Amino acid sequence: MAIEKIFKDDASEEKGERARMASFVGAIAITDLVKTTLGPKGMDKILQSTGRGHGVTVTNDGATILKSLHIDNPAAKVLIDISKVQDDEVGDGTTSVVVLAGELLREAEKLVAAKIHPMTIISGYRMAAECARNALLQRVVDNKENAEKFKSDLMKIARTTLSSKILSQDKEHFAQLAVDAVMRLKGSTNLEAIQIIKKPGGSLMDSFLDEGFILDKKIGLGQPKRIENAKILVANTAMDTDKVKIYGARVRVDSMSKVAEIEGAEKEKMREKVQKIIAHGINCFVNRQLIYNFPEELFADAGVLAIEHADFDGIERLALVTGGEIASTFDNPESVKIGHCKLIEEIMIGEDKLIHFSGVEMGQACTIVLRGASHHVLDEAERSLHDALCVLSQTVNDTRVLLGGGWPEMVMAKEVDELARKTPGKKSHAIEAFSRALVAIPTIIADNAGLDSADLVAQLRAAHHKEGCNAGIDVISGSVGDMAELGISESFKVKQAVLLSATEAAEMILRVDEIITCAPRQREDRM
Amino acid sequence: MAAVTAAQPRASKTESYVDNKRKEDIRQANINAARSVADAVRTSLGPKGMDKMISTANSEVIITNDGATILNKMEVLQPAAKMLVELSKSQDAAAGDGTTTVVVIAGAILKQCLSLLSHGIHPTVISDSLHKASTKAVDVLTAMAVPLELSDRESLIKSASTSLNSKVVSQYSTLLAPLAVDSVLSVVDPEKPDMVDLRDIKIVKKLGGTVDDTQLVKGLVFDKKASHAAGGPTRMENAKIAVIQFQISPPKTDIEQSIVVSDYTQMDRILKEERNYILGMIKKIKATGCNVLLIQKSILRDAVTDLSLHYLAKAKIMVIKDVERDDIEFITKTLNCLPIANIEHFRAEKLGHADLVEEVSLGDTKIVKVTGIKDMGRTTTVLVRGSNQLVIDEAERSLHDALCVVRCLVSKRFLIAGGGAPEIELSRQLGAWSKVLHGMEGYCVRSFAEALEVIPYTLAENAGLNPIAIVTELRNRHAQGEINAGINVRKGQITNILEENVVQPLLVSTSAITLATECVRMILKIDDIVNVR
Repeated sequence: MAIEKIFKDDASEEKGERARMASFVGAIAITDLVKTTLGPKGMDKILQSTGRGHGVTVTNDGATILKSLHIDNPAAKVLIDISKVQDDEVGDGTTSVVVLAGELLREAEKLVAAKIHPMTIISGYRMAAECARNALLQRVVDNKENAEKFKSDLMKIARTTLSSKILSQDKEHFAQLAVDAVMRLKGSTNLEAIQIIKKPGGSLMDSFLDEGFILDKKIGLGQPKRIENAKILVANTAMDTDKVKIYGARVRVDSMSKVAEIEGAEKEKMREKVQKIIAHGINCFVNRQLIYNFPEELFADAGVLAIEHADFDGIERLALVTGGEIASTFDNPESVKIGHCKLIEEIMIGEDKLIHFSGVEMGQACTIVLRGASHHVLDEAERSLHDALCVLSQTVNDTRVLLGGGWPEMVMAKEVDELARKTPGKKSHAIEAFSRALVAIPTIIADNAGLDSADLVAQLRAAHHKEGCNAGIDVISGSVGDMAELGISESFKVKQAVLLSATEAAEMILRVDEIITCAPRQREDRM
Repeated sequence: MAAVTAAQPRASKTESYVDNKRKEDIRQANINAARSVADAVRTSLGPKGMDKMISTANSEVIITNDGATILNKMEVLQPAAKMLVELSKSQDAAAGDGTTTVVVIAGAILKQCLSLLSHGIHPTVISDSLHKASTKAVDVLTAMAVPLELSDRESLIKSASTSLNSKVVSQYSTLLAPLAVDSVLSVVDPEKPDMVDLRDIKIVKKLGGTVDDTQLVKGLVFDKKASHAAGGPTRMENAKIAVIQFQISPPKTDIEQSIVVSDYTQMDRILKEERNYILGMIKKIKATGCNVLLIQKSILRDAVTDLSLHYLAKAKIMVIKDVERDDIEFITKTLNCLPIANIEHFRAEKLGHADLVEEVSLGDTKIVKVTGIKDMGRTTTVLVRGSNQLVIDEAERSLHDALCVVRCLVSKRFLIAGGGAPEIELSRQLGAWSKVLHGMEGYCVRSFAEALEVIPYTLAENAGLNPIAIVTELRNRHAQGEINAGINVRKGQITNILEENVVQPLLVSTSAITLATECVRMILKIDDIVNVR
């Protein structure tokens, strides 16, 4: 039995039918887990951490749920990966992509059972995906030329994205916030410039957008609370004493007055450092490290606003938006880039005081302050808003827009069905299966809303038989409605990414005919 | 574990119908957990509500009536139950009072939701209807509210005492209510009349005496005695106060240092030098006319030594040492002075002025009071006394609630009746409104309206009255147009509650309704609990 020793102990191998079975089962289980979160009436999940503190997250975001799962099944991991990629690329549609891939696999399983070779299925899927994409391309609306119309498109997309999230009740408000923030970016997709601050208290409707930058810090004692035309030096430097950093260095003296002298010298050194900093001609100094009492007083005397202990993220953003650079030595004032802003003032949000930098160098920078009942709400609101911002910033670059509410799926399914009829051979089964998988998405949306999905989807299909129809599922009234009238839109880029990456993932999993599990690494602390 | 779930799919793969059993179970489990939390605090609602004794993990005992505190110490694990704890915290942050009310309302709405769900209504439909109902409820409350002027001290005191009446310290409400009102009003900045920063009100707790001895101090109170070493002064009129952040002790460098002593005479010299060094500092301080020193605590070295205290006493300078760095901002704001971080910067213009700084003995212990401060900042200090630590802590919490109530009134100047009147009125109006709505919505709004009756019901129950008789009579009175009829717990009957001076800020009621609804909606929308890393 020498053959059995190919693998290490504990390693396992699954072949052919069994391997494919395991992939299907894993992928479909994942799909079933997240599919209830799809659509405007999708449900939320509680993620309960088994780690320390048993932290609780409440979310509707597919990517967040999948990211935090314990998964053993390799195929399931592939799905999680595509959801992550979708999140990074376009930010939204993370659930849709997993659900579509899962449905494709579900259909593929039936085909395999009907003795169709996986490669045939794959090539059928490929043809179908290409055809579906072309179908979408024919129906896209591009309002790039008309700024007014484009803005209303953006609003519609934002509303559609937000309506499946916790913000759905206040979507009008948040859609406006998100669109305003993205319009400020002027086409760049650098979401760094949009800062989101979460402050518990108040309600979601109290959230607002503010131009400029808000730093969650306090102004030092006795220093000006308001500065106009501020020149800001952002630094990361020790503001206690510059110590000799050699271990064991010590001073040896023989009298008390010498000690006093050294102490004086240390103070003098600090004073010099502060003088040098002030000599940059600044009136605001932001340090990442602590500023001790002594230098703080010196700054106060010089009328310089000093902010201590700004976190790393904070100073990097601040440097970015004010156009300054983070300095750590102060000997060459001319080589240090100093940031500028029109006004620094202390503002109060809820119970906390924060520092607001307005009129900053980088005009597109802005801050969204989120208010909400609890941390759960705020965290989920941030994720939702982030999705909306991602989609919008992508849409600004790729201005093609589609209708939503299951409309694109029905359009694609119709075209793919046509193709299946035209295609001879076994492939046509695969193409037909693809169209069924597409129809599964409106079905799930309807199911989640507690509607009669079979009836609705049949109506929808009938409506789409007519050329140029705008029918989709109107979840609110529970019937088939005109998506253009209801103002439900989606970004073409998101749909395209969902379609292509789901097909690719399904293809990849289908190709697998053997799973080799390596022996797990031994850990001593377990069991 | 999720890994296991992933390997064995729950629903069969090809079935076309959806198996909802697990989702229903999760939702029921969540709702039941949340409701049991709500039931736990229910009995502490209202003026005749009971207190809870909590023995914490480090065997500390807390007796309290404050919903937020009870829930905070309960250490629940179930996620939905945790959300209710969070809910009570949010109410604490938003309004400061009504922390029990909000949880009780959420529990009652959840109970109604359970029956709605069992009728097969989709959770999102319920959730949307609840949102609509709560928006409508806020409108109704706003319409009921009575506007208030800040100059109307009487009404402010009334609402503060309503909040205090449900606490352990209720018998002192005549003392604490005006105190809370005065302290909040004194920190309102005329430039920003809507904002009150409660950090400008410092509460100093001191064991001994009774709650009756609690007082408002226009100035500063330090919970420590003046330094007595070498007979320094303990009372100073026309005080010139310096807040220093440096140390009056022998020099110490940041680099490690050692003094080499080679013979006996050298030692003498070093001692003399040390003395001269300190003397030099004190002379500089004295030269500015300063006669009271507040010294910040230092971790790196002694803030003062016996020697320096001795010289300071000789120079007739009163010393209060070990002031925390966090308190410096409050102190400098109150004294209208600047902290001094170096002896070289010790100048007269950085000093604060006060008529009197004196050490006062309170029973065994002593405190230092600073009064008659010139150009005093907008801050105030409340000195809370009590016979034991438990009472003091509860008094502080109650006072905090009362302060929050007054703050709510400052930021939103409307009053509303208490004693269950607004809830019954809401329930009536929403019930009427539900009749004009169509379909499921109407049904859900009606349940919401019924859920709100829990407040008067519990109030009556906790007061030992017959809840059903009281609630039905209340409903009757409201139907006849007496919108301010409420439960008078003291008399045990229904009266016009506005005349009984039982009033509360509008903000407390509205935020309780909106926050509770938001929390319930979140719980409803959850259909699965996933264990994650």
